[in-house]
Amino acid sequence: MPALLLIPGLPLAAFVILILIGRRLPPPVAGWVSVGALVGSCALTWAIGGDVLHGHRPHLQWPWLSAESGFWTIGLAVDGLTWLMLAVVTSIGTLIQLYAIGYMRGDPRCSRFFAYLSLFCASMLALVMADHFVLLYAGWELVGLCSYLLISFWFEKPSAAAAGRKAFITTRIGDTGLLLGIMLLAFAAGELHFDQLDAVRSALLLQHREFLPTVISMLIFFGAAGKSAQFPLHVWLPDAMEGPTPVSALIHAATMVAAGVYLVARTFPLFTPQSLAAVLGVGLFTHLAAGTIALTQTDIKRVLAYSTISQLGLMFTALGLGAMPLAMFHLTTHACFKALLFLGAGSVIHATHQQGLAHLGGLFRAMPVTAATFLVAALAMSGVFPLSGFWSKDAILLTARHEQAWVFWALLGGAVMTAGYIFRLYLRCFHGPAPTTPTAVGVHAQESPLIMTLPLMALAFGAAAVGLLGSPVSHQFFHLFGLHEAHEGLDLAMLAVSTAVAALGAWLAWTVGVQHRNLVPAAARPAGAALYRLAAHKYFVDEWYDRIIIQPFLRTAERLSRFDLRVIDAAVDRAGLTGWSVGQLKNWFDQRVVDRLVNGTAQTVQRLSRLGRRLQTGVVHHYLLVLTAAVVVLSACLRWF
Amino acid sequence: MIPVTHLSLLSSALFCLGVYGILTRRNAIAILLSIELILNAAALNFVAFGRAFGHAQAQAFALFIIALAACEAAVGLAIVIGLYRTARTVWADQVNLLKG
Repeated sequence: MPALLLIPGLPLAAFVILILIGRRLPPPVAGWVSVGALVGSCALTWAIGGDVLHGHRPHLQWPWLSAESGFWTIGLAVDGLTWLMLAVVTSIGTLIQLYAIGYMRGDPRCSRFFAYLSLFCASMLALVMADHFVLLYAGWELVGLCSYLLISFWFEKPSAAAAGRKAFITTRIGDTGLLLGIMLLAFAAGELHFDQLDAVRSALLLQHREFLPTVISMLIFFGAAGKSAQFPLHVWLPDAMEGPTPVSALIHAATMVAAGVYLVARTFPLFTPQSLAAVLGVGLFTHLAAGTIALTQTDIKRVLAYSTISQLGLMFTALGLGAMPLAMFHLTTHACFKALLFLGAGSVIHATHQQGLAHLGGLFRAMPVTAATFLVAALAMSGVFPLSGFWSKDAILLTARHEQAWVFWALLGGAVMTAGYIFRLYLRCFHGPAPTTPTAVGVHAQESPLIMTLPLMALAFGAAAVGLLGSPVSHQFFHLFGLHEAHEGLDLAMLAVSTAVAALGAWLAWTVGVQHRNLVPAAARPAGAALYRLAAHKYFVDEWYDRIIIQPFLRTAERLSRFDLRVIDAAVDRAGLTGWSVGQLKNWFDQRVVDRLVNGTAQTVQRLSRLGRRLQTGVVHHYLLVLTAAVVVLSACLRWF
Repeated sequence: MIPVTHLSLLSSALFCLGVYGILTRRNAIAILLSIELILNAAALNFVAFGRAFGHAQAQAFALFIIALAACEAAVGLAIVIGLYRTARTVWADQVNLLKG
């Protein structure tokens, strides 16, 4: 099945082309290369979609390592879950990249931007298609790298560089958990192929009871929490908004952050009731806490970032309730409306160069397409019938009501907040009074070019209609997961509750957020103000991290550096100095003793030879005289002795 | 019949004369002549003792010595000429290439 290879291969090829010769291409061409490759992947994905829906499972394997005990294979596989992720990544990715062509126009490093985006798409597609933990982990790290590169894409800004670093380090902490989980699984079960997970689970349960699967699944969930910005590893995502808005839309809203949800869904067989309870707790807590923070933020993109964290928390809540297909359903609808919200926000930023809510307002007339599509996304996200968010969120709410009632009530509160913050954002951007501050340029804002509004409209259609695939109208979506029983039908009570909740949120947003009326009774105001401050400062999580981890770490580093300087460096210096002194001594000995011995010998020999050379006069007579005398003496000796 | 004693005395005198000449003469040719004297002293010794003891071989040795002396004179003169060509002198004490 070469088509399987081509799905991640095409964006990879685009990356190679752009990274090698991208700078020589005219800027729009670079974008089109990237978009073209992704369109190819998208077409291939939809082409195999029918087969997958009917239970066909394309699988491509090749040998990876061979050793004494057989050999391992690695490969790409597509099942319903993977196909869903492929469709989300390629379809939404295409629209966002198209939008990015307009958004990034004029940026000097445009080709580099699209190269990174292509690399991201390739690694994300490889991640979801991997049939093996190791390949998944490789893709997992690659998307983390791309996220880092793209967050700090405008690295001239110190805040962007710092945000990239923060994101990378925070997700690395989660990744380490995932790596440990993979290694533990490899040691305990010796099998890392996803299609063997059911067998692995029963083998592990038989051998180790529930302990080991719980540990492994918790480690995997830790990795997922890092990537999906769940408490306590959520701190990087709001800062990641320093990146260009298309990046925020693609990576930090629609796809990469959903990889954590995908990972848990993929390894769902390994999760024991205990670890599912933990997933539920973390997800629910993140959902509510991030929702309250989103209510207080004043930067458009940060509101959306906390909203993303909150919605991801909702997905993890669904996973924790055991409703894996529902989590994936919400992932899909969320990808549509959240990408749309981000692109709308990007359109506003592109037109006004403002991100603060204080500097925005009354843009509806200037930017009708953006405003209308934003409204569709906001309605979808609030769960208004019959837009997509309604179907996915209410399915989760229904499950919660059947499984655990308290979760249901908590989720209802979360739904009020969701509607509240998103309508606060929408109303203040597009309807509230136009700002009168001199810095505001919103008055002169113009609608974005067609290449940016076209993706907005396509996504608005998606945000409105995708949910219908999991509704009584059509049950196609759940066929992907092999669920074929009919939909329970429309729960009218839920419909009423959901709409009421959304309306309540919107009304609160209008009265409190836009008209600035204080609804809190006077007696409770100090407590309310304190709560508000707490949420506005994001519950001081960053400050806590700073105090508990970063500052002690820096202090320790400082101490170690001092130790280094005073002890180790001193020792090294002392050793060097000692060596130098010994060298001096040896030098003295060499010059005074050894050299004198040698020179003395030579001088003695010279002096002696000066005596000897006197004998050699060169005059033949002298030699003859000596000879004669010698003969005479020898003769005399012979004669008388 | 001259006794052998006289003859050996004569040859001794001749030998000493030759040695004296070698040691005192500075001219290379004179040195050569002195060497001839020594050779002749040796030849005279051979002849004298050959006759005294009746050995004919001794007489033959005398003849050999005469031939040898001729050769030696030729070689010696050649050396002297060579010396003159390189050093422009035949004074033996002025040629001291071997001086240390």
